[in-house]
Amino acid sequence: MAVDPIEQFQIHNLFPVVTVGHTEIAFTNSAAFMLAAVVGITAFLLIGTAKRSLVPTRLQSAAEIAYEFVATTVHSTAGSEGMKFFPFVFTLFMFILTVNMIGLIPYTFSVTSHIIVTAALAITVFLTVLIYGLIRHGFHFFNLFVPKGVPIYILPLIVFIEILSFISRPISHSVRLFANMLAGHITLQVFASFIILMGTGLGAVGWAGGVLPFGMIVILFALETLVAFLQAYVFAVLACIYLNDAIHPGH
Amino acid sequence: MSAFARGFRLSTELVAGVVVGALIGWLLDRWLGISPWGLIVFLLFGFTAGVLNVMRAAGIVRDRQL
Repeated sequence: MAVDPIEQFQIHNLFPVVTVGHTEIAFTNSAAFMLAAVVGITAFLLIGTAKRSLVPTRLQSAAEIAYEFVATTVHSTAGSEGMKFFPFVFTLFMFILTVNMIGLIPYTFSVTSHIIVTAALAITVFLTVLIYGLIRHGFHFFNLFVPKGVPIYILPLIVFIEILSFISRPISHSVRLFANMLAGHITLQVFASFIILMGTGLGAVGWAGGVLPFGMIVILFALETLVAFLQAYVFAVLACIYLNDAIHPGH
Repeated sequence: MSAFARGFRLSTELVAGVVVGALIGWLLDRWLGISPWGLIVFLLFGFTAGVLNVMRAAGIVRDRQL
């Protein structure tokens, strides 16, 4: 029995929602898991902060830790002015973290293993930086592309490279999260399929030998849990760094 | 940040620069019919931008100081 490691990423239509032109827009399994994540986060924060007791319950302290963690991150990378973007960054972080964590549960769907999802998130950050920067600083926003102390004869070249570097941001931002999740889930599936292959191929000896790939899965799963958290954190930190450019261009 | 995450960050920064350069070059080639010069020139610029990204991400070059 061959196990297809890509099969877990397939999108299924659950029920159609609306038809635009000839394109049917359906509620997919991906959308269902996103909705589950949003409902989960909302419930967690609402229930966690409902009582506001001085001695917090477990749920309340978890909600407080999540708040404190993101608030410290935003404050240290984008300054106190960056705190106006706190709701945005907190939403990004909680959404990606929850979706990644749900994806680790066997038989679930990992939303962030699709580049269209991570690209949509990264482009949202990119456009926020661009639009906020232009509104706030007007033409001065383009100082971002003009480093100080560069001789005038190579300045056009430098500005050009800076612009390319700026455009490449949403790509590296989205590919990092997507590739990490995709690679991790494929690796887990491949190691799991080794057990089945050995067991069905070699019988009892194979099943006994399957302990080795199983041990690898346990180790990889720990790694993947770390990666799921870390990538959500990295995504949020980079969003803060980019937003910092919109707040203070031309440093 | 773990070493793994750091390594992954640096490699994607480089690849993103090259991809953007290649994409712009390829599109210019198609629109202006100057193949292969757009791709050649923009791939080089994209590579430069990628290296700049990596040096920034690694903290070798301080941000906004080139």
